[in-house]
Amino acid sequence: MTSHASTSTSPVRRGAPGWLGRTGYVGLGGAVLIALLFGFVFVKGGYLLTVMQLAMIYGVFCVGLNFFMGYTGQASFGQNAFAAIGGYGSAILCVEYGLPPVLALLVAMAIAGVAAVVVGWPTLRLRGHYLAMATFALGLITYDVSVQWESLTKGYMGYAGIPPLGIGPFEVEDERAKLVCLMVILVFGLWVSGRLRNSRFGRALRAISTSEPGAAALGIRIPYYKLAAFVIAALYASVAGSLFAHVVGFISPEVFGLQMVVVTFTMLYVGGIGTVLGPAIGAIVASLLPEIVRSTGRFQDIAYALLLLGLLVYAPKGLSALSGLGRPRAAEPKPGS
Amino acid sequence: MALLEVRRLTKRFAGLTANNSIDLDVPEGCLFAVIGPNGAGKTTFFNMISGFMPPTDGTIAFAGETITGLRQDRIAAKGLVRTFQLVQLFKGLTVAENVEVGFHLATRGGVAAALARPSWFRRQEADVHARARELLGFVGLAGVADQDAELLPYGQQRLLEVARALAAKPRLLLLDEPAAGLNAHETDALAEVVQELNRKGTTVLLIEHDMALVTRIAHRIAVLDFGCKIAEGTPDEIKRHPDVIAAYLGTEEAAHA
Amino acid sequence: MPSLVELVQSLVNGVGIGLVYGLIAIGFCVIYNASGIVNFAQGVFVMLGGMFTHAMLIKLGWPLAVSALVSIVAVAGIGVLVQLAIVRPMWNRKAPLFAIILATLAVQLLIEQIVILTMGDQPRTYPDFTPGGPLKIGDIAISYQLFWILGCGALMVLLLTLFFNRTRAGRALRACSQNREAAALLGVPVDAMLMLSFALSAALGAAAGILITPTQYTAYGVGAPFGTNGFIAAIIGGFGSAPAALLGGVLLGVVQSGAIVVVGAGYKNVVALTILLVVLLFFPQGIFGGRGKKA
Repeated sequence: MTSHASTSTSPVRRGAPGWLGRTGYVGLGGAVLIALLFGFVFVKGGYLLTVMQLAMIYGVFCVGLNFFMGYTGQASFGQNAFAAIGGYGSAILCVEYGLPPVLALLVAMAIAGVAAVVVGWPTLRLRGHYLAMATFALGLITYDVSVQWESLTKGYMGYAGIPPLGIGPFEVEDERAKLVCLMVILVFGLWVSGRLRNSRFGRALRAISTSEPGAAALGIRIPYYKLAAFVIAALYASVAGSLFAHVVGFISPEVFGLQMVVVTFTMLYVGGIGTVLGPAIGAIVASLLPEIVRSTGRFQDIAYALLLLGLLVYAPKGLSALSGLGRPRAAEPKPGS
Repeated sequence: MALLEVRRLTKRFAGLTANNSIDLDVPEGCLFAVIGPNGAGKTTFFNMISGFMPPTDGTIAFAGETITGLRQDRIAAKGLVRTFQLVQLFKGLTVAENVEVGFHLATRGGVAAALARPSWFRRQEADVHARARELLGFVGLAGVADQDAELLPYGQQRLLEVARALAAKPRLLLLDEPAAGLNAHETDALAEVVQELNRKGTTVLLIEHDMALVTRIAHRIAVLDFGCKIAEGTPDEIKRHPDVIAAYLGTEEAAHA
Repeated sequence: MPSLVELVQSLVNGVGIGLVYGLIAIGFCVIYNASGIVNFAQGVFVMLGGMFTHAMLIKLGWPLAVSALVSIVAVAGIGVLVQLAIVRPMWNRKAPLFAIILATLAVQLLIEQIVILTMGDQPRTYPDFTPGGPLKIGDIAISYQLFWILGCGALMVLLLTLFFNRTRAGRALRACSQNREAAALLGVPVDAMLMLSFALSAALGAAAGILITPTQYTAYGVGAPFGTNGFIAAIIGGFGSAPAALLGGVLLGVVQSGAIVVVGAGYKNVVALTILLVVLLFFPQGIFGGRGKKA
């Protein structure tokens, strides 16, 4: 699983470091529960399928956000901008230019990646409130552009008629097939995340998150690694945006608005910032929570906001710290210090 | 030619001269100490050499190459690696992982290599893993390799920082008050490690205000006071130097710390 | 190319909206200087000021002055509530900066959604405080509301200055901003000061919202753009004195409305945010310097 496991000379590590946190077995139990839940949803079908589909999509976004927030310890409140690029990119490329969905997704990803480099290179020199506000501004700019540039985005009304995912003549239209497809993508995203985390690259990111002076003194090029993490997060966000467009078939500026920021942070907090699986677990748990209280629409956003506030005020280390479900490995990000 | 050549190094903060035209030569293979009372400007001196702070004036040459004003990571890449007075461990990482980060400069491979894991990369990771444990053995931390670094007692955190710096294969190792806050036993352990790594060929420049430790292990000592170099020589010369005695008598608690 | 008249007109409009940004900016500074916190939910106070006043003035038919005053007090109360329930426990625990910012963002979303639920999502507005107008000078039209904004803005800055210099509470708040620990040691009730700063800044935001609504509209979503514009003004002003923040707001307002003439009104926030990024990157200490305290 990790490079460490391959050297048998080392003493046995407790749990599976990084993947779930120190209490790996409790986490494993949680994963089994989620698998069971998955099976239940799969058999039962109906509305819960849609909920799970969205959970997978948000999961992809959160796994990416975790690169920047969790591993590298930097704050970004504007990753929704890149999800919007992915979503609108896919929609426009498919509908206007007739690109196949997979190609559209990849092209949108490339656009988001380039945008992240262009925007991140100057922005990431900022710290603390300035970095927070600058990234927040990115999200707002993208929102305004997606509302205003009607000829491209169809404005407030949103973009409908986006074809489902598919390769060649095969289209994924069945709701269960969609869910499986999304799950495979999320698992792939997790695999990438875990593989990068436990490597020279990931160690450099995690070093930066707890001590920038320490990292710099060992020769780590901090600006480069921060930018790399930012771009990776943007790529994941873009994929999430594209997936949303193809799976739901409709996007509007609201989809990528402020609630996306709050919802995804709630998920990260619930699952455990800085662990490999935490973001995905958080996405699933936090997606199902509003279903349990049977709330929809506006109430759902309110529920998320309240849940996040509750977590921030009463469980600052994340819900995972309370339940033992994957303790955050990296210290809490302190972008201002 | 000395490995590190510092010329007229000066740092002025608003209205305060922290370092005043300091000259210093550290020959290859030397265990060199810079001492001085608190506030003498030692850490400022170090921060400039290691690139954490640009000098107001003066030059720094390392192995014949000017490094004045270079970014920290560039300086580290040239073989000049430092530790910190306030330990800068990577707290979310295990003890072994901390040292593995130290191998950053000695290894290569980014995102693509980490994903594809070609054979050279797997070998490199395994190698890094094994050598990190060797280094931990060298400083006496092999037994705690898989603990979270933040759970280590303070003395071991300092040793870990030294091991981590060694992983970067420094030609010159800068140690910033490595014995600060250590008890006598821990100080001895650290002194032994420093002497041993120096014997193995690493040039060491250390800042310290523990006179007893420095006179015991250093080959050569420079003394700073109020931002100026007031003396330089062998430990015996320094111990007898009237200016040094005067400077240290003024801050008795520093001498005993 | 826009004509000269268009440009001068946009300048006039820019001063009006800029003063409002300035008031919001002062709100940012008051909290920041008392606590080191940047309240990202500052914009919702502006939105609530407009919404509350609309509800009382139009739906209940109350007189304008009463509606405005009740709104300001109510919004100040909400500011205090946010501070008590969320900011204070995190602040006392020394929560990381980014967690506090995130919490204020969540507050913004929460309040926005509650407003949609209780008051709907339709934009609304109410008439200028003084009917009639605009005042015509040649081809330039100056709405009467602009004079209200000018007058009230000047009055509030004057009152604030008096408050900070002449009253016990004001001086205590200033002491907090200079050195929190020392102020606490001298017996300044730091917690109460944090609460006061939230009340003040919420009231300022509400006043800004009440003043600006007649010239455009208010709706649940106007908070974020107003908040960010106020933050930009605060940065331009250097997070220092109230007049500097006001000046920063005017500068931003004028540049923004100048740019609107060229790129169209829909992009006014894009213009402002681009200005923000430029200012952040090239003048991280603010343009007018201020006290140069880093955010």
